[in-house]
Parts: sequence; C-alpha cells; structure tokens
Amino acid sequence: MTTTDIASAPVGGGYDRLLARRERRFASALLAPAFVALTATTTFPLLYLVWTSAHRVDLAMPFTNGYVGLENYAVLLADDRFWSSLLVSLVYTGSTVVLQVVIGLALALLVMDMKRGQGWFRLIAILPVVLSPAVVGMIWRTFMLAPEFGIIDFLAINAGLGSQNWLGEPKLAMLSVIAIHTWQWTPFAFMVLLASLASLPDDIYEAARLDRASAWQRFYRITLPLLRPAIVMVIIMRTMVALTAFAAIFTVTAGGPGTATEILNLYAYRKSFTELSFGYGSALAVALLIVTVLISGVLFALRRAK
Amino acid sequence: MTGKRLRIIAVMAVSLIFLLAWAFPILWSVLNSLKTDQDVLAYPPKLLFAPTLDAYRDVLFGSSSILPNLVSSMIISVGTTIITMVMAVPAAYALARLRFRGKKAAGFYVLVTQMLPPVGIIIPYFMILRNIGWIDTYQGIILIYLSFSLPFAIWLLVSYFEDIPFEMEEAAYLDGASRMKTLWRIIIPQVRGGIAVTVVFVFLNAWNEFLFAVVLSGNTVRPVTVAMFNFVSVEQTLWTKLAAVSVLAMLPVIILGVVAQKHIVKGLTVGAVKGGGRR
Amino acid sequence: MSGRGQVSFRNIARTYGNFAALKGVDFDIREGEFFALLGPSGSGKSTTLRILAGLDAPTAGQVLIDGQDVTAVDARDRDIAMVFQSYALYPHMTVAQNIAFPLEMSGHSKAEIGPAVHDAARKVKIEHLLDRKPGQLSGGQQQRVALARAIVRKAKLFLLDEPLSNLDAKLRLETRAELKKLQRALGVTAVYVTHDQEEAMTLADRMAVFMGGEIQQIGTPAEVFAKPNSIDIAGFIGNPPMNLIPARYVDGDVTIGGHRLKTDSTLTGERDVVVGLRPGALRAASDGVPARVDLIEDLGDTAILDLDCAGTLLRMRVSDIEIPNEGDTIKVTARPQDVHLFDPATKARL
Repeated sequence: MTTTDIASAPVGGGYDRLLARRERRFASALLAPAFVALTATTTFPLLYLVWTSAHRVDLAMPFTNGYVGLENYAVLLADDRFWSSLLVSLVYTGSTVVLQVVIGLALALLVMDMKRGQGWFRLIAILPVVLSPAVVGMIWRTFMLAPEFGIIDFLAINAGLGSQNWLGEPKLAMLSVIAIHTWQWTPFAFMVLLASLASLPDDIYEAARLDRASAWQRFYRITLPLLRPAIVMVIIMRTMVALTAFAAIFTVTAGGPGTATEILNLYAYRKSFTELSFGYGSALAVALLIVTVLISGVLFALRRAK
Repeated sequence: MTGKRLRIIAVMAVSLIFLLAWAFPILWSVLNSLKTDQDVLAYPPKLLFAPTLDAYRDVLFGSSSILPNLVSSMIISVGTTIITMVMAVPAAYALARLRFRGKKAAGFYVLVTQMLPPVGIIIPYFMILRNIGWIDTYQGIILIYLSFSLPFAIWLLVSYFEDIPFEMEEAAYLDGASRMKTLWRIIIPQVRGGIAVTVVFVFLNAWNEFLFAVVLSGNTVRPVTVAMFNFVSVEQTLWTKLAAVSVLAMLPVIILGVVAQKHIVKGLTVGAVKGGGRR
Repeated sequence: MSGRGQVSFRNIARTYGNFAALKGVDFDIREGEFFALLGPSGSGKSTTLRILAGLDAPTAGQVLIDGQDVTAVDARDRDIAMVFQSYALYPHMTVAQNIAFPLEMSGHSKAEIGPAVHDAARKVKIEHLLDRKPGQLSGGQQQRVALARAIVRKAKLFLLDEPLSNLDAKLRLETRAELKKLQRALGVTAVYVTHDQEEAMTLADRMAVFMGGEIQQIGTPAEVFAKPNSIDIAGFIGNPPMNLIPARYVDGDVTIGGHRLKTDSTLTGERDVVVGLRPGALRAASDGVPARVDLIEDLGDTAILDLDCAGTLLRMRVSDIEIPNEGDTIKVTARPQDVHLFDPATKARL
C-alpha cells in the first residue's frame, strides 16, 4: 500500500490526491487556451526580443546582419541619445505622476465635501480616461495648441504672452506633452482617490473631531495615512503607463523638436521602425524593460514598507 | 458668514474651471466638426455659428472616406473582444475557484505579462509577422491585442468570480451537474454583469490602441486611430474633417464609458493591487 | 448491508498538509436514522460530512453507502441531497427552477418535473413562492426552498450542514420541529452537522460527538447526556455545562470543599479525580455542602446560581420557587447516581 500508484486508486488511501488531480486536470483544460495565447503573444516575443538584441538586424542593410553579442549594449551605454531619452522618460514620468496625484487628491478632497455637483465631476471625469491617447494627442496638437488657431494659444495671446510655438520649442514642447498627459489621466487619480475617500468610515472623523483635531490635523494624521494604499497604487499604475507612453507623444510631437520629447519608449520605436535598425531597437527595448522592472521594484518595496 | 460664502464661491469657481478644462477639448472638437471651413479658421474663434454636417458627410462618404477605417476598428475590437472572452472566462474561473498546485504562479504569470513594455513586444512581433506575411491582416493585429486584453480580462473576471460562494458549485455538483454544466448553468449566469463590464473595457482598450495598430496596419487594415493622421499633413490640416473624425473615434468609447460609469474605477484599477494597467 | 441510505465510515483520515483534520473516524449510520454530527468548529464534523457528500476525499479510509464503496465516486453520482448553511440557492433562477434543477440534471422529462416540483414545494409550504427569485425571499423562505430542492429528488441520503444557524431564534425552533417531521414522513436517512448541542439533542436519533478530529462518543442524545465518556464531552454537552471539580476520591466517596459526597462508584482505594455535577442535578439539602450564592441569573421559569463552595465555582439550576437571595449561604448535594467521575490524566470516565 505504501508505494502503489495512486492512479489505480489503492484500497484505503489517496483519494484526496485523486480528487486534487481531477481538479488540476480540469483547471489545466480551462487555463490552456489563455496560457497558450499569452505565451505566444508575450513570453515568446520577449525571448525573441532578447535574442534580437544580441544581433545586428538591419532591414535597410540586411547583408550586415549577424550575431554581435553584447555590442548593441556597448553602443547603447555610449549613446548620448539613449541617456537623453532616459532622462526625458524620467522627467516625463516623474512630473506627470506627481501632478496627477497632487491635483487628483486635492480635487477629490474638494469634491468629497460638496453636497451638490459631485455627479457632474463623476461624469465629466470619465471622458478623458476612456479616450484613446492617440485621439487626445491629435486634438491637443491641433485644436488646442496650434499657433494662433488653438485655444491655448488664443488665450496666451489675450493674456499678453504672445503667440507661442507650443510644440516647436523644446522646453514648451516638453511642457505641452506633460500637460496633455496630466489632462488625460488626472481624472483617473481623482476617481480612484474619491472612491477610496468615500469608503473611509465617518466615525473616525467624528472621533477625531471630538479629540479636537483641526482640519489640517485630520487630513495629515488620518486621511493621508488611510489613503496611502490608494495613493501608492495610483502612483504604481500611472508610473508604469507613463514610462511606456507612446501615442500621447507620438501623435503630438513625434518626439520632437529634435529629440526634446523623445522618451526611451519612443526612441526604441524610432530606431526600429523608422531607422529599421531592429537589433539596436531591441536592445533599447530591453533597457526600457530593465528600467521598468527596477522602478516597479522600488515602488513595490515602497508599498510593502510599513 | 461672509468667509463661508467666499469659500463656497471659491470652491465653485475651482470646480467649474476643472470641469471646463476636462470637457472643453472634447466639446471644442464637436463644435469644430460642425463648422464650415471658413468658420473654423475665424479669429477670434467662433462659439456661435450656423452648424453644418458637411464635414461628417465628407469624411464618411467623400473621396477619402474613413468608413472603411471605422469598419476596421470595429472588426478588430469585436474580434479581440470575442476571442478574449472565450479564453478569459474559463481561465478566470479556474484561477478564482479551483484549487490546484501552481495556481499562485499561474496568476502571477498573468500579471507579469501585463507589465511588459508594449514596444518590447511589437519589435519582435513585427519581425515574426513579417516572415509569415501577417502584416496588415486582422489576425495579426487581433492576436497581439490578446497580449494586453487577456491579462486584463482575466484579472477583472477573477474579481467577479471570487464574489460567488463556493457552496454554489458544491450544491450544483450534488444536484448532479457536471463541472462544465455547473460553470455554464450556475456560475456564468451569476457573473453576467461582470462579463458585460469586462466586454466593455476590452472593447474600449482595443478601440483605443495605437502603437500596435500603427506598426501592423496597412492599406487593408487601418483602424481609425491611425487613419486620422491623413487629415494632418505638413502642408495643410483639414480642420473640420479632422474634428469630425475625432468625434467619430471618440463617440463609441464615450458612450461605453458613460454606460459603464459605475464600474469604471474597478475597470481602471483591476490587477493594480498586484500589477499595472495599460495604455 | 442492503437498504436505502445506510452509511459506513471505515477509518477515515484527512490531512491538509501537516494538519490532521480527521484522525481515523470509524462509525455507521443506520437506514432511516436522523444522525447528528456534533462538535465545536474545527472538530472535523464538517469535513466528515463533506467526505460523505463527495465534496472532499479522505487521505485514508473508505466511505460505504448501502454497502458499496463510494470513496472514489464523484459527488454528482452519489445520489445525495444536501442543504447548505448559506442555502446556496441559485440566485438567477426562480424558486421553481431551483427546485427543478436536480431533476433536470438527472434527465427527467418536463412532464415529470412539474408535478414533482409542486409536490416538494407543498411539503415545505412554499407553493405560493414558486415564481419568485431567491433574492425576494426572507431567510426562512430561502431555507424552505433549499429543503425543497433537497427533497425533490428523493435521494438516498439527506445531508444538512448547520441549516438552521442563519435563522432567528424563534424561526429556528419552529423549523427544527418541522425538519424532524419531514424526515420522519420521508423516511430518509438524514445526517445533520451542528455545533449547537441543543439542536442535536432534540433532533437526532443518534449522534456522534467530534473533538479534535476524532469521535469522542456515539450514542443516543440521552445516553451521551447521561453518561458522557470524557471530561471534554461533559464540558461540551448541557447548558450550562457540567460543573467539573478536581477532588479526592476514597472508596466510593469524594471530598469537595471539606465535605464528603457519596458516589455510586464501586472502585476501591484512593486517587485524584475530576467530579462532574450537572447544574440541574444539584439540589438543596440540610446535610449538603455549604455554598455562598454569588450571583443569580434569573431565566424566568428557572434560575442559574453561581455558588462559591470553599473557593470552587459551582453552577446550579433551580426552579423559580426555590430562588434564594444573593449573599445567602445554602447547602447543596447530589444523588450518588448523578455524580460523574473522570480521570484527570486520561480525561476518561471512571
């Protein structure tokens, strides 16, 4: 009885394992299609990407293709455009995330106390977040920011600032893409934080009031710590998205002027699909993956802390 | 009393500014799409004008109609949604309800795949599709859309399946139902709402996707998000037509977003507890 | 070993990882019997029921139904009906569809299902609710639907997992009585899991008391109440539970608070024991042990007294006419046959 195969259902034992195996077989059958599809569309391309990054794959000059080992990475480390795109990525991500969280939280606190008009906020806030970043980028590039024609420029002229080349001047272009991303995604932070605020129990605040905490103390000592998980979640989600933003910049400036708004993601794209240098583009994508993993590692550690 | 009134006024002003800021770019596109080519270029910009549907007639039925592109977007989005749901519902059920070794690892795998940078997927994917001649095909685009729609749908559905008590299945087994029958007759009807919400978000994400579409599309398959570029060129921008196309591209997702209003926070933060979102 | 609804558990063990939920359970349930599995939570009673239902499987041992080994048989092929604690009604189906579901699954025709559903609904008095959805019903009504769904199929075995625990107190008493009548009328074997000893006592023909993954005692409720075979059972059965007092035993007598109490034990010699006295078995007597009344819990028709008997707490049930005042000192005793003796080391009955 000790070493009998359980499949043959030995007398007096092992039925729990038989049951577990039936369960596992059923689970495998249910999971198989999705896992095959996921592996084919994510894991396999990822492995292929790493392999490509160790090759020279140039569609414009296929005769030079071949294995180059870590050469692409060596080039990458000495590539000023890589470092500048990494910097742009970090500035873009950092500033948009901070702006979204700060504005979103402030608005959530403001709206939370409103007796009327909450519904309007909840409705209007949905609009930007369901839109395609490509469409949003296009609308901003034209109807909002086009010199003399766009509304922002119109307002700037009337405010005495004069017409500006919003997307043609490096600093302004960077500001613009940051503003567009913030415009589109602050409602997301707002909605999440508002929902999380609404779920906080009232009695804590009543107790705090009885303990004579001031409004500021109530915010700093009670609201903020209780909201911390939601805030960290928003930061993590938005960071991941901002790091890999594409359409929102591609449709507005395409990374320009020059490389002023070229985030790492976009650089990898341009290297591959504009310059057709897929080997080097792959190395850039791997670098982006490493940066993403590192940053998310830090953020998750931050979340686990305390 | 005056301090309080001042505060109320300040709150209202700030609220109005933000509501306007979020609504305006969309409203402005709608207004511009209803203008004539003269009105749209007026300075200062016109808020009052005689509306016309000329721009819509042009972009839908004119020489460079985007109707095929809308159809393209629709085929891609519907196709992605159907295939995603067919695969995600069973997978989510297994992850949410069945007990088996390796379940945690399986769930983690689904999450991690969601965190890959899309550009890291599209570069190798493009080369693969190029070799098998699937560039500019629906199957090529829909297949890669699974890379983000599947993890998303699985995790959103898991949260709905988890709300059903285990006793529900056990009761069904004892009533003589097989496992598939239990899933089909007892469990799935109870997550209809969750499935509907998931369908909405999968469709929405597919409709809005841009990076994969811009790389993989061609003359046969070109969704509207990519096609709208035709209306902006270095020489000239076709303002009213661009506005009309934008509105047409926004319309389905805004309708879906408003319909799914109550579920939007859940839809946007799904899997976030452990992983990341997309877009 | 023939008949309908006879069950044998043969040395059933179940471990989850390192945790032994059941440590070799071995007993029979007779045909047509109302059998209760009683025990505190985590005692293994629910695991036993789930193994019988086929929702869980034993690590070792066998389950026999009507003499046939069903250990490896799927739950849906065991011909067992079950009422769950949460009722587990299918919320998207009407009451009628809920009740019809088991018949539908076993391939009955529409013509057979309709009358059967009405018949089952009539038995639990919910005919007027057939078109409703479970969400529109009260807890008591839902419970009846669950019962109807269980009886409609005329299964061999009828399992009930704490079916009354979600009802309010009054409804629970009513339903308890009806449940018993229903089981008698159907003549079906019922296995009933509960942590409520009063439910087990009133409903069961026989019961098994579970503790720590083992059966401590099997018998009729009266037997278990009259002769609990361990300290643990003595402390679990009865409300309030039996008084358990460490004492010295010498040749048939025990000494409590300096006073001697006669027992009906025939053991000779001298040893440490634990004396068990039911609160209801204590009575006032002029030659009894003196005890001070610390607290009176008046229950209306009876009262529970907390007595301080030379430092030991004793609880005593008295009827309303004999209630003393707090602070009084009364003298209590018990008849020799009401004095239970247990071994302090093995916890077994002496």
